[in-house]
Amino acid sequence: MKAIFALLLMCFSTLSFAAEQAEEIFKQLAPSLYQIRLIDKASGEKSSIGSGFQISSSGLIATNYHVISGFARHPNKYKIEYLDNQGNQAPLTLKSVDVINDLAIVQREVTAEMPFFQLAQQAPTKGEELYSLGNPHDLGMIVVPGTYNGLKNESFNDRIHFTGSVNSGMSGGPVVNKNTEVVGINVATSGNQIGFLVPHDKLLELYQAYKNSPPESIEQQMAAQLMQNQKKLITTILNSDWQLKPLGRGLIPTVDVPFVRCWGESNSDKTDAQIMAAVANCDLDENTYISSDFFTGSLEMEYRYMESDKIGSTKFYHIFERQLNQAAPGNKAGKDDVTEYQCHHDIVTPNSSNIKNKAVFCTRAYKDFPALYDVLYIAISVDHEQYALLSHFTISGVAQETSLAFLAKFMESVSWK
Amino acid sequence: MEIIIEEISHGHKLLSRHKFASNNISIGRGYDNDIIISDPHVCADHLQLHFNGEHWLVNDQGSINGSYLENSKDNVIQHQVRSGDIITIGKSQVRFVFPSHPVSKSIAISPFEGLINLARHPMVVALSMTLFAFIGGWIINLNNVNEVSLTQILVPTIGLTLGFALWPAGIALVSHLTKHDGRFWTQMGISYIFFNLMWLSDIFENIVHFNTSSNASMLWLLAIVPLLLAFCLFWLNCYVGFHMTLKRRSFVSLCLVLLLFGGSFIVQLSKQPDFNPRPQFDTTIMSPAFLFTPSSDVESFVSDSAKLFEKVTKEAAEDNKE
Repeated sequence: MKAIFALLLMCFSTLSFAAEQAEEIFKQLAPSLYQIRLIDKASGEKSSIGSGFQISSSGLIATNYHVISGFARHPNKYKIEYLDNQGNQAPLTLKSVDVINDLAIVQREVTAEMPFFQLAQQAPTKGEELYSLGNPHDLGMIVVPGTYNGLKNESFNDRIHFTGSVNSGMSGGPVVNKNTEVVGINVATSGNQIGFLVPHDKLLELYQAYKNSPPESIEQQMAAQLMQNQKKLITTILNSDWQLKPLGRGLIPTVDVPFVRCWGESNSDKTDAQIMAAVANCDLDENTYISSDFFTGSLEMEYRYMESDKIGSTKFYHIFERQLNQAAPGNKAGKDDVTEYQCHHDIVTPNSSNIKNKAVFCTRAYKDFPALYDVLYIAISVDHEQYALLSHFTISGVAQETSLAFLAKFMESVSWK
Repeated sequence: MEIIIEEISHGHKLLSRHKFASNNISIGRGYDNDIIISDPHVCADHLQLHFNGEHWLVNDQGSINGSYLENSKDNVIQHQVRSGDIITIGKSQVRFVFPSHPVSKSIAISPFEGLINLARHPMVVALSMTLFAFIGGWIINLNNVNEVSLTQILVPTIGLTLGFALWPAGIALVSHLTKHDGRFWTQMGISYIFFNLMWLSDIFENIVHFNTSSNASMLWLLAIVPLLLAFCLFWLNCYVGFHMTLKRRSFVSLCLVLLLFGGSFIVQLSKQPDFNPRPQFDTTIMSPAFLFTPSSDVESFVSDSAKLFEKVTKEAAEDNKE
């Protein structure tokens, strides 16, 4: 393993000056870098790995929430351990999490004061050289040079766009500037050379909040964070500009905020098709990871317009009925996380518009996070013989009040031209 | 004195009937007998009957398998015959009846019978089968997303129509095999009339579902309609095909309904997953021509939806308790 590592370093050093600097940085910081391991108690083997870095002399280590999510959800099934650059292993305790920004603080036992990473005072400038540290695929600690490319525009919760390879296993590792100050935390990748980082100020906030008053229970802390985030998100969306766009003979609302992106498709090129169909859908470009089979914080809106002058009205609606059958939740969740859906349906005409819909609203409750729900709405217009408009949205992890406010606004916004 | 001897099956169905005026009658497998029974378990000379001027006496002729009065294990020797006695010889049964034996009351032909015979009328049979084929073809067309030509519909439609004929044909066959009148065309007429009624009730159910919100109660009443129709069909099938008492006919029909609907209900239940991540709701939508109900406004829809949160919260709390 060391040989490969040395080889990699050699390659880098011959490549550029930046790589030499990277080596220097790595040597300096290695004692404060850790591999974080989640150990399955029953089998005694590690079930997931990530990276972490020390942020205080007293042994506090920062990592990603998703690295230790197994422990946060099932504290009896797992234990957390670290592996330092000397090869020492020892247990860690979970202290605090930020589920929205995918951060966690864990604590190791220390006997003496230890070196630790300094958090940067300000954000880097665009184009600045950064160094990402971590342990990809359990191959050993490495350093990856890359470039700061500003904050990701399409993100509701800030993420740094980092041009450089962030690989799995490096999650939770620090990204530092030339002065070895932490400016971000590795969190995700989007393929070749596109990495995403959590900005350092999110960690600073979490650290400060932890110093002031440590959370009583991780679950309650998560519930409060989810609650606060959905309120912020839905309020922002409700207060933003809802633009009405034409789809067939219908008018559909799209939300004009950068973090909700829309796509469209139609079969207008197929002239012999029985039914002309056009689809538009908008969704939030991110969601919140709670565990590998439980995601929340997603939002999507979908519109489907169908028109046909070739088939009878009865057959047209019979075919359209299948679209209703395909209604599915927008997020992944299992039996332990949520209840089954409960639904209400009715024929609805909004006072302000001219469309008559068969509307269905469904919701399911979160079992561990009180007062949070997944909601789903689907409606099909039933007032014209030969054309109809389907409007649909799902939001996961919302409160009753915010979801109903969204529902009312959404229903009032869909109409015929 | 005259005596009537009936050969009967184990189910007491009449196989043949003989009337004798003589005082001595012999029963056996031999060709010299008055009644020849070709059961290999019957002896050549098996049973003798003799009228002594006052009574008929029946006597086993020392046969291998013996002769037994029904529900008795003693061999029949010099047994004094009473009207209605049934004697088992070999694996066959004979019944002795005197001319004075009482018969049950005559049943008047009910006008109902006339109505049922109407179902046999060629016009009625042809009409109901055509209607069935028409609706069947229409539904096949509805379910087909692609454009379908008439010939494409024709073959499955004919197949469907003939496939459904298996039911009345099967019943007619069973009633024929059990020595009843088959009455094939009556069964056909009745069955297709009810198949059509079931389809109509389906369409009616869809219209009602389309026009009601989930606030509507009593919708389960609609689910009973097909059960009732099926019960009536089976009841009439039995009425036409078999001689049964009213009680028995109703019981058999009820059992058939339970078997059919209970069976499919259990199959559905067994397929139900432990946890369904998808929402379940009434998906019926139809052409606006079938929409008669006034629509609600957004406020009332939102306030109705709000009630769901309470329901799922309670559900989550109950699950967490477990």
